[in-house]
Amino acid sequence: MAIKESLEEKKLALLADDLASLENYIHDLFDFSPLPICFISPIGVVLEVNPAFEAIANLKSYEVIGEPIEKILKKDEAEVLTKTTLEQGSVEGKEMVFFPKAKEKMFSQVFTKVRKDEKGEVVGYFLGIFDLTGIKGTENELREAQMALMNILEDSQAARKEAEEEKDKTQEIINSLTDGLLVFDRENYLALINPRAEEFLSIKKGELIGKDVDDFSSFEQLKNLATLIGKDIKEDLFRQELKLTEDSILEISTVPLTTGKTKIGTLVILHDVSREKIIERMKTEFVSISAHQLRTPISAIKWTLKMMLDGDLGAITTEQREFLNKTYRSNERMINLINDLLNVTRIEEGRYLSRPFLSEIAPVLQFVINSYKEEFKKRLISFKFKKPKRKLPRVLLDVEKIKLAFQNIIDNAVKYTPAKGRVVISLKGNDKEIMVSVKDSGVGIPKEQEERVFSKFFRGANVVKMETDGSGLGLFIAKNIIESHGGKIWFKSNKGKGTTFCFTVPIKKTTKKSRKRT
Amino acid sequence: MAEIINKETIDQLMQINGEVRGVVLKTDEEYILKEKGRAGIEQVEQKLKELGHPIKYEEIRTMDFYPVGLRIASLLTIKEVFDFNDKEIYNMGVFATKMSLIIKLFVKYFPSLRRVVINESPKMWRKHWTIGELIPVELNEKKKYAILMVKDFDLHPIYCPYLAGYFAGILHMLVKSLKIDSQETKCSFKGASYHEFLIKWR
Repeated sequence: MAIKESLEEKKLALLADDLASLENYIHDLFDFSPLPICFISPIGVVLEVNPAFEAIANLKSYEVIGEPIEKILKKDEAEVLTKTTLEQGSVEGKEMVFFPKAKEKMFSQVFTKVRKDEKGEVVGYFLGIFDLTGIKGTENELREAQMALMNILEDSQAARKEAEEEKDKTQEIINSLTDGLLVFDRENYLALINPRAEEFLSIKKGELIGKDVDDFSSFEQLKNLATLIGKDIKEDLFRQELKLTEDSILEISTVPLTTGKTKIGTLVILHDVSREKIIERMKTEFVSISAHQLRTPISAIKWTLKMMLDGDLGAITTEQREFLNKTYRSNERMINLINDLLNVTRIEEGRYLSRPFLSEIAPVLQFVINSYKEEFKKRLISFKFKKPKRKLPRVLLDVEKIKLAFQNIIDNAVKYTPAKGRVVISLKGNDKEIMVSVKDSGVGIPKEQEERVFSKFFRGANVVKMETDGSGLGLFIAKNIIESHGGKIWFKSNKGKGTTFCFTVPIKKTTKKSRKRT
Repeated sequence: MAEIINKETIDQLMQINGEVRGVVLKTDEEYILKEKGRAGIEQVEQKLKELGHPIKYEEIRTMDFYPVGLRIASLLTIKEVFDFNDKEIYNMGVFATKMSLIIKLFVKYFPSLRRVVINESPKMWRKHWTIGELIPVELNEKKKYAILMVKDFDLHPIYCPYLAGYFAGILHMLVKSLKIDSQETKCSFKGASYHEFLIKWR
C-alpha cells in the first residue's frame, strides 16, 4: 500500500514537473511572438494578451485583461469583428483603427481565429494585430508624392503652354521683323529663316532649312552672302554691305547665340539699307554736281583776281591790293573746300581709285614738308623730318593722293600746334611696309571724340574755336587714300600734350600691273 | 504602522492543515512587481525571512502546492510592509484573476456565465485549495447578481477582501461590465458560520 502511494506521489510529482515545463513553454512561445496577440471571449472581453500586444497597446496585461475589446477598437468595428469571427471562424487582414493607450490612433490589420473546446464549442477567439502605421505612412508618402508629381505635371503643362505661347509670340515677332534673320545651329546648319529674309534672298525656307553655308553657294542669289559670312560663319561681322541688286543693298551682321558660356548657334541679321543708300547716293550726286557747278565760276573768279593782283588790268592801290589779296585767299579756301567735297563724293561713289606707280615716298613727303616751311616759320613751330640713312624700297603709290593725305595730316599738325611748339615727321620702314608718323605738341584730341576722328565733317570741339577754317574732311579723305593703298592709319593723342598720326603703306612685289612712273 | 504580523502568528498559521497552489503566491509577486518593483519583492522576502518563513517568489512553481499558512503569511507581510488597506487587498484579488494560470484553464467555460458560476466555480476552488469549499448559492442574470458561499475557510480575516476582489475579477471576464461590485455579506470571523459574497454588476 505504502509502495503504491509512493508511486502515485512520484507520478504526481512528474506530472507537476511536466505541467511547469509546459507552462514555461507556453509562456516563452507566447512571449516570443512578435505579433501582438490577444484572446477575446465570445462576449468581447479580453482574456489574455502577449507582451507584443502590451507593447503595441501601450497597456500592461492587467490593464486590459477583463476589459471589453472596445477599449482598443472602435465599438461598431469590434462588434462586427466579433460577430464575423464567431460566424465564419476567422477574419483575415481586416483593416481597422486601433487605439493604443495615450497614443494616436493606429491603422492596423487584424487577423482572428476562433478557439473551440474539446466539444467543438466556441470559447473565444484569438486576435492578432499588424501595425500598418509604417505602410500607411508609406502609402501617404506615395500619395503625397503622387500629388506632388501631379502638381509638377500640371505645372509642367502650364509651363509648357506658357513656353509655347512665348514661342508663338517670339515667332510672331521674328516673322514681323523688318530685318531678315537667319539662325544657324551650333553645327552651322540653318535652323530658322524668317519671312523677311526669304523675301530678301528670294528663296523659300523649305529650300534652305537644314543646309549649311556651303549649300548656300548652290543658289546663285546666295553666293555673295555665303562668301561674306564664310563657311564657318564669322562671328564678328558688323554692318557689312551686301549688294543684291543695283537698288537692293543689305547690311549683314552676325551675333553668336549663347546660353551662359556655351555657344548654341549664330544669328545672321540682314538689314535693308537700300533706301538709305539711294538717298546717300542722291546726296553725293547732288554735292558732286553742286561742287562741279561751283568750281567753274570760282575758278573764273580766281583768275580774274590773279590778273588784277598781277596788274594785268591796270595799277591798283596798296589798299586795293590788300582787299584783293584777302578775297583771293578766301576764294582759294573755297576752291579747296570744293575740291575736298569732290574728293569725298568720288570716295563715296567708288570712283576715287588709286593709280599706283612704284615710287619713293621720301621725296613725296619732302615736297609737302617744303610747302609748309613758311607756315612753320610763320607760326614759330620748329619741325624736323627724320629719315632713315639707307634708301627705303619703292612702293606702289598714287603720288598725288599720298601727297594729299600727308598734306591733310601735316596741315592739322601745323594748325593745331601753338606757337613754339614742335612737329616731328618720321619715316621708317622694314621689309613689309613703310611707316610715316607726324608727331605734334598740339592741343590733342578729346578722348570722347577719338572714335569720330576719321568721320566726315568731324572737327574737334577744342579746335573749332582756334581755327575757323577747315572742312572736317581732311582725315576722312586721308584715311580713304591710305586704305586704298592697302595701308593703315591710326593715331595716339593726349589732350593738351599732342597727337601722333601714323600711316603705313605696304611694300608689295612688283606685278605686271604695276608700272614704273615715267 | 501597527504590527499585524509576527513570528508567533506565522508559526500558528503554519500549523493549519491545507495547501494552496503556488499560483496565488506568483500573483502576489506580480502585483508587488507592478506596484513596488523588484525592491518591493526584496522587502517582502526580507521580512518573511526575518519571520522565519522565507519565500523566494521566483522559485515558486505555479502548479505546486504550498502550505496555506505560507500564503496567508505572504499576504499579511505585504500588507504590513506596504501598509496596504482592504481596498489594496481587494485589488490584489482582482489582479490575481487576470494573471492566474489556473483561471486560464477555465477560460474555455467563460462563454457561459451560468456554467462558470454554478458548475465550474467549485472546481476552480478545488484547483487552488485543498481546504474549504466554494458553493454557488444563487445566480440571477436578469437582476445581475450572484451569491457565493465559502465554507470551512477560516484562515485569516485578511483573506476576505482578497476573495471579494477575486470574485469580482472573474465576473469582469464573464460579463461585459465596467461596474462590478463584490462584497462579503457574511463572515465566519464576524459570527457567521461561513463566508458569503454578493457580486453585482450593471
